[in-house]
This record gives sequence, C-alpha cells and structure tokens, in this order.
Amino acid sequence: MSSSSANPPDPSPPALEITDLVKRYPTGVEALKGVSLEIADGEFFGLLGPNGAGKSTLIHCSTGLASPTSGEIRVFGHDAVGDYRQAREAVGLAPQELNIDWFLTVEETLDFHGGYFGMGKKDRKERVDELLESFSLVDKRNDRTRDLSGGMKRRVILARALMHRPRLLILDEPTAGVDVELRLELWHYVQQVNSEGTSILLTTHYLEEAEQLCSRIAFINGGEIVDHGSSDELAERFGVGSLEDAYLELVGRKELSRAHVGIEAEDGQ
Amino acid sequence: MSPSMVRLVSLTRREVSRFLKIPRQTVGAPLLETFLYISIFGAALGSRVGDLHGYEYIVFVVPGLIMMAFAINAFTNNSSSILQQKFQGAIDDQLSSPASPGQLLLAFTLGGFLRGLLISVVTFLVASLLIDLPVKHFYILIPALFLVGWFFASLGVLVGVRAEQFDDVSFAQTFILQPLIFLGGVFYSASLLPEPYETLTHFNPVYYMISLVRYGFLGVADISVWLSLALLTAATAALTFANYRMFKSGYKLRR
Repeated sequence: MSSSSANPPDPSPPALEITDLVKRYPTGVEALKGVSLEIADGEFFGLLGPNGAGKSTLIHCSTGLASPTSGEIRVFGHDAVGDYRQAREAVGLAPQELNIDWFLTVEETLDFHGGYFGMGKKDRKERVDELLESFSLVDKRNDRTRDLSGGMKRRVILARALMHRPRLLILDEPTAGVDVELRLELWHYVQQVNSEGTSILLTTHYLEEAEQLCSRIAFINGGEIVDHGSSDELAERFGVGSLEDAYLELVGRKELSRAHVGIEAEDGQ
Repeated sequence: MSPSMVRLVSLTRREVSRFLKIPRQTVGAPLLETFLYISIFGAALGSRVGDLHGYEYIVFVVPGLIMMAFAINAFTNNSSSILQQKFQGAIDDQLSSPASPGQLLLAFTLGGFLRGLLISVVTFLVASLLIDLPVKHFYILIPALFLVGWFFASLGVLVGVRAEQFDDVSFAQTFILQPLIFLGGVFYSASLLPEPYETLTHFNPVYYMISLVRYGFLGVADISVWLSLALLTAATAALTFANYRMFKSGYKLRR
C-alpha cells in the first residue's frame, strides 16, 4: 500500500515503510502475511482491526520487540533490523499494557528511559520537568508507579514514549479503559505533538477516535491490510455511510450496524 | 560521556537501584544469614571441630561463606530481576531502546555482580574485625572472586531469561545451586570425607571455586590452583558467550 504514488515525490523518507512483512511464530501461527504499509513524515495514521488481526505484532516488529520472519521495515529510511540503533532512536512506543516497573518512581521511569536513548543528564532533567508539567504529574514525581491509578499510569507511559523526543510516536490502544476526561486530554496532547511535526501511528478499537484524529486509516484483518484511505474514502468504497459500517463490513459483522439494527426496529413496529 | 556509554550506565544504574531500593531484602537478609553461619559454626560448633589445615574452624569456613554470599546474591538478583521485568512487561522499555544485545547483557550481569560484591565485601570487612583472617594470595583471590561472581551472575541471567514462572527460578536455586554450594565444601574439607563422597565432590564444579577462594585467603588447597583458575575462566567465558548468543537472538526476550 502506498500513498506516495498519488502525491508529488517527497524528498524526506517516510516515517514508517513496511514492505511484505511476514511474521510467523514458532507455533506456526502466521500473524502477518505480507503486510505493506507506508506512513508519511508528519502523518497521523490509524490502524484498525479486530483483536488478533496483527496490529500489535506489526508494532512489535517495528520497535524491535519481535523479529520479522521476512520483509523489510524502515523507519525514516533506517532498516529496523540491520540499522536498529538509528531506527529505534526515532521511535517512541506507548504500548497497550501498562508495562511500567513497579519499583521505580515516575521520575526514575522517565529518567532511565532517557538514559537508554543516550540523553545526557542535563537534557534528561529538563525533559522530565517539561513532561511532568505537560501531563500534570508534577506532584507524582517521587511516587512509585505501582501506587498510581490506571489513568496516571497511562499518562506516565505516554510521557515515557515522548521522553527521547521521537519523530515517530506509536500508540497501541492508548485510551483503552481510560475515563472521558483523560481520553480527551490525551487526544488533545497527541494532536499537539502531531502538529509539532511528530508522525503518529495509532491503533485503536474506538472508531470515533480514529475518525477524529487520523488523516488516513488502514484496516488490518487476519494478518493482511485489506484497505486503506481516509475515513470518507473507506466508507464510500465499502458503500456504507460511516467508518463504523465499513469496519463491520470488513469483519463480516454487518448485521451489527446501527443503521441496520435501526431499520429492523422500524420494520417491527 | 558518549550516548553509548550513557546507555550502558543507565541500564546498569537501573539494575543497581532495584536492589538498593529494597535493602532489607537484598542486602540486610543475606548479611544476617552469613553472620548466623559465622555465629553457629564459629562460636557454637567451631571449638568442638578443632583445626582444619592448620586454621581454626571459623577461619577455615569464612572464605567459603564469602564466596557463597557472592555466588548466591549474584544469581538471585539477576534471575529475579529479569523474570520480574519480563512478568511486568517492563523489560520492553530496554528491549525497544537502541541498546545493543551486548550492552543489555552487560548491564543485567553487572546488577547481580555488584550486589554480590557489595555483600561479600561487607562480610569480609566485618569478618576481619571478628577473626584474624589472612589474605595469603591476593593475586589468586581477586581473579577467583571476580570469576565466581561473574559466573553466577551470568547463570542468574540465563535462568532469568529462560524462566517462565517464579517457580523456575526458585527450583534452580533450591534444588541445584544450593546443594552444589553446600556439598562443595563451604563448611568442611573434602579430604575429611569418606569414599566415595570425597571422589564425588571432585565432580562438583563449585568445589574448585571454593577451593580457589580459600587458597587466596589461607594459602591451602588440595586442588591444582592454576588448572582450576583456567577451567573457571573457560567456564565463565563460555557461559557469557552463550548468554550473548541468547541476547542477540532475542530468545525468550523478543517475541
């Protein structure tokens, strides 16, 4: 899949360029079956698909947490396998799981992360202060992460992903299980980060979230990208009225469509 | 400091901060345990055992206790730390960073090594106040302790990476490590054992480690010191290399 064919040639390499990516686990399960995907520099890109479609595997392969079986992944032109150092330096990952170390304080979590990415002490200190301020975590600075609420942990994870100032931010279901205020706060923050030039890859189950935030969306199902485009383009191509209906078509559950359910209800009256 | 060095220092700092944050469990408990051994075997039983290789029993035992403290703490720290981080998923933060497999391995190994070193140094200092502990062969003692510490720290890394549940780690410690160390001659001289136990002891690799450390302190050994040192070096290097291969391939670390 490529968006560049329709656009004038872009001199900067894509934020993420995935070509024929296959991931087969030792159990024989093929989680990705030749996925190709391109996210332009500065783009806000959404990846939608049901559970087990291959979203997280694609993210793991792009961040070094899984080794691809075959295919190629380039982050701003750097091979994610052969040239992993430069590729990983450019990526910030906010995973689905709240995977922070219980023993560390909020400040240590951010500081160590900055250190893993080679940031000097002074730079780390400044960046930690900046992020604690942005995410309203200043008074939690010295709290152990295990004592934080779920919402607070989610903020720490996003702050950690941004600590080393990545050019590509990968958000794997960042708003799963958070309350409305925090969801809107996170939306606001990632939109701001995107407007400052950071490319974003977002996976989510909330279609409204993808519609609101992403300029382009790809549907993934059964380890394959089945379609991509803007929210309107996808709805039009599937011959339905909304992104949600396009999604339901894709997963073969169109009987769940709100429009469909509405019509049946009327017929019954 | 270069970014690469900052990475290594940060990875190591993280491992050290973990055990320094829970000092009662990671430093206090092992020190207490060692001093209980010294009290029981030195004060209570020592006078009845008599001299071994020309030394008071307690003086004979302390080098083994120092080695045992180093070995067990290096092993426990690394196996627990790695498994715990795998369990929490927190290890993904290091794995998705630009750190190389070698840097990750070095930092994880150093965590347990430094904890073992801290405890064995404190044990040595306190033991020196309580008893007259000689250091006869410094040039053997230092490499021997370094190699023993590195070997068990590496073994802890290997077990921690391979483990899938906490039971795997405690099994290795309780059913393999502890018996090998206790039967390796920490509390006795193998030459006092009846056959076939004396011969069997020679098949226990920990016996050579204890003997080397004891030789460094007391200057007595019934093994070939240089051959043992060479074999320990080879075993430690082989284990480190195996771990490096494991980190490079991402076995049980990356999906």
